[in-house]
Amino acid sequence: MTLFRSMAIRMALVYILLICGFGYVTRVLYKVQISRHDELFGKAQNTYTTRIETHGTRGEIFDFGGSLLVGNVPTMDIVGDPANIFILNKKDKDKTETECRMIADFFEKHCENVKSDEVFRRLTKRSFTSKDADGNTVERDCHYAVIATGVKYETAKMLKEKVKELAFHGIAFTSSYRRNYPKNTMLANILGLTNFSADTFIPVQGIERSLNDAMTATSGSMVYERARNGRPVTFTNSKSEPTLDGYDIYLTIREPLQAIVEEELDLMCERVKPHAAWAILVDPKTGDVLAAAQRPTFNPNDRGTMTPESSANRLSELALEPGSIMKPFVVSYALDKGFVTPNSMVDCEQGVWKYAGRLLHDTHNVGKVPVTEVIKQSSNIGTAKISVMMGAKNLDNALRSFGFGQKTGIQLKPETSGIFRPLEKWDSLSVSRFCIGQGIAVSPLQLARAYCMIANGGYKVNLRLVDRIERGDDVRVMPVVKETKSIFANPTTKKMITDMMIGVTEAGGTCTEAAIEGFHVAGKTGTAQKVINGAYSNRYYASFVGFVPAEDPKFVLLVTCDDPTVGSRYGGSASGPTFKAIAERALKYMYVQPQLSREEWLAERSAAQKALHERKVREDALVQARREARDRQLKEQQAKQQTSKKTGTTVASRPASSNSKSTTVRR
Amino acid sequence: MNKFTKKTNSPEPGIEPGRTQSPWVAGLICKMAVMMVIIAAACWARVHLNDKTEQLAREKSRITEEIREKRTEIQTLIAQRETLRSWENINAKIRQYNLALRAVNPSQVRYMKRFEGQVSAPSQYGGDTRVADTSAGADRTSGGVH
Repeated sequence: MTLFRSMAIRMALVYILLICGFGYVTRVLYKVQISRHDELFGKAQNTYTTRIETHGTRGEIFDFGGSLLVGNVPTMDIVGDPANIFILNKKDKDKTETECRMIADFFEKHCENVKSDEVFRRLTKRSFTSKDADGNTVERDCHYAVIATGVKYETAKMLKEKVKELAFHGIAFTSSYRRNYPKNTMLANILGLTNFSADTFIPVQGIERSLNDAMTATSGSMVYERARNGRPVTFTNSKSEPTLDGYDIYLTIREPLQAIVEEELDLMCERVKPHAAWAILVDPKTGDVLAAAQRPTFNPNDRGTMTPESSANRLSELALEPGSIMKPFVVSYALDKGFVTPNSMVDCEQGVWKYAGRLLHDTHNVGKVPVTEVIKQSSNIGTAKISVMMGAKNLDNALRSFGFGQKTGIQLKPETSGIFRPLEKWDSLSVSRFCIGQGIAVSPLQLARAYCMIANGGYKVNLRLVDRIERGDDVRVMPVVKETKSIFANPTTKKMITDMMIGVTEAGGTCTEAAIEGFHVAGKTGTAQKVINGAYSNRYYASFVGFVPAEDPKFVLLVTCDDPTVGSRYGGSASGPTFKAIAERALKYMYVQPQLSREEWLAERSAAQKALHERKVREDALVQARREARDRQLKEQQAKQQTSKKTGTTVASRPASSNSKSTTVRR
Repeated sequence: MNKFTKKTNSPEPGIEPGRTQSPWVAGLICKMAVMMVIIAAACWARVHLNDKTEQLAREKSRITEEIREKRTEIQTLIAQRETLRSWENINAKIRQYNLALRAVNPSQVRYMKRFEGQVSAPSQYGGDTRVADTSAGADRTSGGVH
C-alpha cells in the first residue's frame, strides 16, 4: 500500500514537472514566436541576408556621328583591411608590421602618387574610436584603409595577380570609374567637367551641368539570402530594384568640323596674339551648332590648366558690344519695311556727323552713297541715318525680332540674354548707337542665331546643341524649334541684304580676305571698342561673321578676336582670314560643290574690281571738278576784289562751297 | 489457444485458403513502401534540383563576372581608341611622318549607286540627296582628310 502511495506521489511529481516543463517551453515558444517574433526574425534575417547597392554608369557624351567626347574609364580603388591583416597574422604585431611595410612598398613601386609611409600608417591603424548612439566613446576595428584610388584598369589587373602571388592579406580591389575626356581640349568649355566626391559626380559647368539630371544614373539594390560562402541562395526569395544607367547625350557637334575650327583658331591666335578668341559654326536651317571653340581653353584631364580665364564659357556667358556686325539687321529691317531700297542714297557726311549733340565718326570718309555701299563700306553714319529715319520704335522692333535681349534656346546653362534696354529707357542717342552695335551687349550665340535668321530667310530658329539623348532603346530626339512665319514680310529682303553682304567680301568691301574661290560669301565685319570700367578703351573686338554659299547657306560662321595685339585690329584683317580658312575646309568636309568655276569666279572678281576702279575714277573726277570749280570761284572772287579796289567799291562775298562741308578739305 | 496455428480442415472465416499472412498487413507494407519511395524520390528530386540550381547560379555569377570584366576591357579599349582617333593625335602623326595629305576637292566626290533610285548622303554631311553618278571616274569616294 505504501509502495503504491509512493508511486502515485512520484507519478504526480513527474506529471507536475512535465506540465511545468511543457508550460515553460510553451511560454518560451510564445515569447519567441509571437511576442519577440519581429525582433528576433529581423536579427536572424540580418545575419543571413545581404543588401547590395548597385550603381549604374553616368551617361556619356558623343558628337552627332557617335564619336566619344566624354566617356567613362574603368578604374580600380585598392583598399586594405587593417583589422583583418592583424587577425590573419595571428595577432602577431611584428609579423603584421612586416607585412604592412611590404604591402606599402609594393604599392608605392607600382602606383602613382602612393607614399609608402602613408600607406603603412593607414594599414597599421587597426582600430579607431567613435561615439555610439548613446554618446559613449567606443573603440571599433578598422576594416577600411585606402591604399590607392583611380588606378588604371590594366595596372590594377596586373597588381591583383601579383598580390595573389605574394599572398598579401586583407587587400581588396573595388571597381570604380572616372570621367575621361579623350579629345582633351576639344570643346572643353562647352562639355564642362565634373568633380568626383563620395562616389558621386558633381557637375561643375557646361553640358555636364546643364544635362546632369539626364546623365545621372539611378542606383538599384538587391536583397538576397546568402549561403555560408556568401553566395545568394537561389531557392529563397530575393528582391531587386533595377539599376538604370544615365542617358547618353548626342550633340549636334560634328567632330571633324570642330577639329577644323579649333585648329584654325589656334593659328589665328599665333598670328594676331589676341587676349581671347572664339568661333561658332551653325546650320542656319536647323540651328544646329556644328562647331564651337574658344581660346584660351583648358584640358579637363589636367585640372592644372584651368584658370578663370580658360574655363569661362565665353560663347554663352559673355555679353559684348558687337560693333558693325549689327548693321545688317537694321538695314534688312529698313529694306523689308520699305524705308529704303538698295539704291536709296544716303549721305554719309564724309566721316563726321553730329547727332543729339554728339559726334559720330566713320573709320574712312564716305560721301553720298547707296544703301548697298553703307553695308559694303560699313558706314556708321549711313546706318545711323537709316536708323534715325526708321525711328526708335522700329529699331527696337528690328533688333528684338532678330532675338536680341532673348536667350537662344541652346541647352547650355548659364546663358546670358545680353543687355538690351527696353524702349522706354532709351535716350536720345540710343537710336543712332544701337544700330551700329554700341550701347547694346549681345552674346556670340545670339549673334550667330541672328545671322542664321538672315541666312534662312528670316525664320527665327532656336540654337540646338543636343540632338538626342539615348538609353538603350529609349531615344529622345530634341526637336528643331523654328518659327513658321518669317520676320521678313517682303520675300526679296533676304536676297537684297545678302547681295549687300556679298559686297563686303568683294573689291571695295571691308573684308576681301574672306572671299572663297568658287563661292559667294556673304559677311560683315565688326570692330567694336571694348568697354573697360565703363569707358571705351583702345582695345577692340575684331569680328567677322558670314554665311556660305550666300544663296543657299550651309553654315553661318562667326569668328571673333578679343583684342588682337599683332597686326591690324580690324575685324576684316584679324578675323577675316580665319573665317576663310575655316569656311573653305568646312565646305570641303561637307562636300559642297562650288557655285562658280574658277574662270567665272575670277571674272566676277575682276568685274567687281573694274567697277570699283571706275567708281573711284568717277569720284576722283567729281572731286577734281569740285576743286576746280572752287578754285575758279576763288579766282573770280579775287579778280572781282581787284577790280573793286581799282574802282573803289567793296564786294563782300564768300566762296559758295564754304557753306557745305567739303570732301576734299577733310581728306 | 492460438487459433491461427491450429490445423483444421474447415477454413476459418475471413482467411483465404493457401495464404499464410493477413492481406491488410501486406497491403499496408506495400502502400508504405510506395509512399516511402515517392517521398524519397521527391526528396532526391528536390535536392538534385537545388544542387543543379546552385550549380547554375554559380555558373551564372561566374559568367556575369566574366561579362563584367569583358565590358570593362571594352570600355578601356574604347577610351584608348577615342584618344587615338582624335584629330590632335592624327595631326601629330601626320606631322611626325611628314605625310603629304591634302583635303579632297568636292568635285572629286561622288556617291556610288548601290540600289535603284537615289542614294542619300549621310546626314552628317548635310543630308542632301544626290543622284548617283556612275559616269567615268564617278566611283571615287572620299575619306576626306581635314
